[in-house]
Amino acid sequence: MGKQNSVAMEPKNTMRFKANNSFKNNRSQKYTDYRYLIPGIVVVAVMTQVPFLITIIFSFIKWNLSRPDIPKVFSGFSNYWFFLKSSEFWQILWQTVEITGISLGLCTFVGFLLALLLDNDVPFINIARTLILGPFFVMSTASGVIWKTTIFNTIFGWYGVFTQKLNITPVDWISYHPVGVIVLLFIWQWMPFFVLILLAGLQGISRDLIDCMHLDGVNWLQGTFLIKLPLISNQVRVAVMLGLVFLIKEFGLILVTTNGGPGKSSYTLPFYVYYQTVYSNQVGRAGALAVITVVLTLVLIRILYKQIKKRSV
Amino acid sequence: MKNEARTITQIRRSMHIRKIIKKTILAIVIYVIAITYFFPILYMFLSGFKTEQQAVKPSLLFSPTLETYKKVLSDPTMIQYLKNSILQVILGTGISLLLGIPVAFALVFGKLKTKESAGKIYLWFITTILLPPVAVLIPLFITYQRLNLKNNPIGLLLAYIGFNTPLAVWLIHSFFSDLPKDIFEAARIDGCSRWQQMVIMAIPLARTGIISAGLIIAVQIWNEFFLSFNLTGNPSATLPVYMSRFREQQGLFVAQLSASSTISILPALILGWMSQKALVKGLTMGAVKE
Repeated sequence: MGKQNSVAMEPKNTMRFKANNSFKNNRSQKYTDYRYLIPGIVVVAVMTQVPFLITIIFSFIKWNLSRPDIPKVFSGFSNYWFFLKSSEFWQILWQTVEITGISLGLCTFVGFLLALLLDNDVPFINIARTLILGPFFVMSTASGVIWKTTIFNTIFGWYGVFTQKLNITPVDWISYHPVGVIVLLFIWQWMPFFVLILLAGLQGISRDLIDCMHLDGVNWLQGTFLIKLPLISNQVRVAVMLGLVFLIKEFGLILVTTNGGPGKSSYTLPFYVYYQTVYSNQVGRAGALAVITVVLTLVLIRILYKQIKKRSV
Repeated sequence: MKNEARTITQIRRSMHIRKIIKKTILAIVIYVIAITYFFPILYMFLSGFKTEQQAVKPSLLFSPTLETYKKVLSDPTMIQYLKNSILQVILGTGISLLLGIPVAFALVFGKLKTKESAGKIYLWFITTILLPPVAVLIPLFITYQRLNLKNNPIGLLLAYIGFNTPLAVWLIHSFFSDLPKDIFEAARIDGCSRWQQMVIMAIPLARTGIISAGLIIAVQIWNEFFLSFNLTGNPSATLPVYMSRFREQQGLFVAQLSASSTISILPALILGWMSQKALVKGLTMGAVKE
């Protein structure tokens, strides 16, 4: 508005020139900045969103990869219906919730305690922090095989050696408690991430406040859970959200440790999609399962986000 | 009077000693926990220096040898997978950054049609980060099989770029947002084009942030398993797939397993440790500002 007024006060010929110029400037600025966005958007859309749309389309057709002679036909919701009425699906869904939920809860709680411990000022604390952070950067298949062969193995692993020394019959944890083993490894691998973020939050709390706490005679429990925890609720929120995103798609660790077994007792939804795609060749069914998985994941993240946001406000 | 003063100093001294003892105990507890937590990785490092016979029974005392490492590094399959991993990391990280930096720049400093559209596009990228890889598996699996992209590293590379560009946008967005906006306005008035603003000003100023974003993406690609396992054949698979092959063996190749996993883990561990500060900043900033 102001610009137009000042332009109107100037002589006629310069006004036209200026108006022209500002119009050109405006236009070029408005539209050229999209140039920076388009390559990124196109690549991301083609490699992630388009395949997801195709997956959704696949989920409505009947298509067996190993039988090209059978025509692909539209089959409505029958692929979805197939899973919704199979008890196997509900069992695997429950297992996914169980594994992810327990891991997430323990990661947050134990991660918070560890972060409190690492927030202390002792010599060479950075070495301890670095060591605890380590497992987070280890590829999941490697950590799976390391734990399986050097720790859990009943004859060659540390567990086997200890039980022999103590004269206890070793239990094959991987066959008898597959879900427990997976939860343990998930926690080992992902808790460092929680520690990292929560520790950053704890270190952001001002020194003055801590000193006030000590002066006012606040005891440890009150200080930790009533003062420090609410102060870092933002960090807790971020850690839980991202932890959920990471944990729910974890696949390699399950494949190398239990391979989903025994039976299907340690399958999770991503593992089930992999199985449907690679072994049963039912494209439509695999598609329906993938869509269900994605929708459940996004809904869960949304609910969690809203819940935590509500509480933190 | 004298007596009193002495008792006060005594009390002070004993308090000081108590504080030191408390701190020592705390330090010991912290170190014990840290070393126990790290133990599986530590033991793997050590076992790589054993021979197969030594590695059968768990022990921490042995005479180190480089024999196993030599054996592992002379295995052509291992070398092939290692090369594939390095190729994916370099190209995947590089291209994701090349695509992500301009997007982040335009979202922070660019003039788009309305203010909300930048927020909407940003949110779209964030949603893509949340998309689990199973969502894209089936079409890519079928297409790659038909086009014979499974034996070609380009197939996997494309998928990695698609999944990591949003991550680059997210992380770099938070670093660009930290830069003062005024200097860009001043540069614009002085006749500096958008492109120059990005190349000469924004990128050098946010250099450390961009490097750390690159490190985080590199670790992601190096460790990624699901897509690599399902979308590649033997000639183009990466190290996580190689490691997954050890799942069938029962304690017979502990030394070889340890040496191979050390080689697979070490680069990610070092890059990860280097990027940890930026990881916290990028993740918390990005998510809190939503």
